[in-house]
Amino acid sequence: MHPLERLVDLVALLLDSRRPLTFEQIRDKMSDAYGQEDLHSAKRMFERDKDILRDVGVPIDVVPTDVWEVEQAYVIPKDKYYLPEIEFEPEEISALFVAARTGGEDAPAEQAVRKLLYGADGGLLAGASSAPFATEAGTTDARLTAAAEAIATRRSVRFTYRTARGAGSERHVDPWGLVFRAGHWYLVGMDRERGEIRAFRLSRVSSALREGDEAGPAPEGFRAAEHVQAGPWGPGEPEERATVAFSPDVAWWATRGIQGAVVERFRPDGWVQVSLPAARGDALASWILSFGPDAEAVEPESLRKDIVRRLEAVR
Amino acid sequence: MTPRTGGRQSGTTRASHRLERLLVIVPYLVRHPGTELTEIGGLFGVGQDDLVEDLNLLFVAGLPPYGPGDLIGVDIEDGRVWIDMADYFARPLRLTRAEALALYLRGTALAGTPGVREAPALASALRKLEEKLGPETLGELAQRVESAEAGRPAETLDVIRNAVEEHERLRIEYYAASSAEITTREIEPEEVFSAIGNWYAAAWDHRSGEERLFRADRIRKAEPTGVRFEPRGLAGAGRPLYTPTEQDVPVRLLLHPGARWVAEYYEVGEETEREGGALEVVLPASRLEWVARLVLRLGGEAEVLEPPELKARVGDLAHRTLGLYE
Repeated sequence: MHPLERLVDLVALLLDSRRPLTFEQIRDKMSDAYGQEDLHSAKRMFERDKDILRDVGVPIDVVPTDVWEVEQAYVIPKDKYYLPEIEFEPEEISALFVAARTGGEDAPAEQAVRKLLYGADGGLLAGASSAPFATEAGTTDARLTAAAEAIATRRSVRFTYRTARGAGSERHVDPWGLVFRAGHWYLVGMDRERGEIRAFRLSRVSSALREGDEAGPAPEGFRAAEHVQAGPWGPGEPEERATVAFSPDVAWWATRGIQGAVVERFRPDGWVQVSLPAARGDALASWILSFGPDAEAVEPESLRKDIVRRLEAVR
Repeated sequence: MTPRTGGRQSGTTRASHRLERLLVIVPYLVRHPGTELTEIGGLFGVGQDDLVEDLNLLFVAGLPPYGPGDLIGVDIEDGRVWIDMADYFARPLRLTRAEALALYLRGTALAGTPGVREAPALASALRKLEEKLGPETLGELAQRVESAEAGRPAETLDVIRNAVEEHERLRIEYYAASSAEITTREIEPEEVFSAIGNWYAAAWDHRSGEERLFRADRIRKAEPTGVRFEPRGLAGAGRPLYTPTEQDVPVRLLLHPGARWVAEYYEVGEETEREGGALEVVLPASRLEWVARLVLRLGGEAEVLEPPELKARVGDLAHRTLGLYE
């Protein structure tokens, strides 16, 4: 008997049965599969099959057949096995399809969508575009899934973390949320040693995520996204406003991705003066200098001085 | 009986994989009778031969002890499939937690990327998932995963996407960061994808006669030309964002802690740890202009080790920029 046939039959039997079946009863009904003379080898084969079913997510309950628990019986509870009815619009299912295929191969995500296809109308392929999309290559799915699992099950996590400045250290964190921002995943939670809420970019986690103990609860009204800071390549977190003039070559794109940027005026020489929300400190000056002679800080005066100081240091 | 090759281990692995597949395909066919084999193959990622082999095996499977009407009925005619007598397989298996998490995370990432056309449909699909799968599968995760605002999508994105779908050549005005210049060129875009928060078009560039990546937000103007092209099969998502060329100049920089982010943000070659938390990197660059601007912004946090002409260029750039403040 082909192993696949045996497995399909076993699922059908345990799923259809109204009461749990003992191995003897299973053997009796599936004599082609487990009817060999040697009871032990038959039982071993059954155990292996049971493990395979569990591996693919088939829930098998083991229940004692009598109060002395001498013998065990097996059943697949229908409510744990069957996917609940979820009706999807064609564009919803094709969007899920696209999502499952973005950022490289991911077997669990694709398998998830395939299970959900059941609740969609036929003729999906025509609608399912293959809109390609890549997420950061450095973040392995294993770390992301482990972080999600820890949040779902309220367990703390331990890992080695390297900050943007390169310092590495061991962390023990109560994970409270995951945030996706500009192509990166961040784990946000309570850093136990530091006693502060921190955001950890998963691509900077340099070890596996190891499960710790029970996680402390997130404070009331906690919003993970509020704790993720902007990267050092941009103008920084909006804390105050600055005015920057851009040359015609770069003015049209320089502030495109920046929420809250407002054009103040067009200068006669073609330069465009823009008011934008920006961080205090280094990030803004560094960002303005990335445009070289194509950008000039106009206000505040402290920003101009800072930039001049930096330029003189280079020269 | 299908002949088996390989040891027992590979046999069981294969059987479990095939079982997993069958437990989703069969319910789909029960619900959608007469679906074409080719469509099943596309939706479930299985080759035609494997699919037919699996379906043929179902013929002899069913509910033990296989009384009349207990075997699964499989009918393949004119490339279409019908399945009956499989009531117990009328609905698919639940999503495992790992599957639900994986899909939920990917869905959130995609829905949170500005400029994704599928975002509204995706958001409502995720809400349905959260509601129907319930806390036993997703745990508290659904309330704990967010995407943060990451700016506005490029305005030219729709024009580029159209050109990709229609195989139409575009005339664009492009700001190339590598040379800090605006150029006009004709491109044949084959794929649009998002990576590290930016949208890119993988296209054939007629100006250089080479394959190039164009960042969508650096395209000032994009006009369809009416000229159709034959796609060359350029790679899109997942490709490295920088392809080294023979004209590359090896740039060697010493990044102090405040500048180490450069090694994460750009594709760097060799990396060597140095004293005081500094990192020495080799940055492949075909043009020096953008590296000079990078060094300028890093101020004292980065030192140019090689080539000497880069140092001179940074000095010149600093001089010209200072001119704005005099």
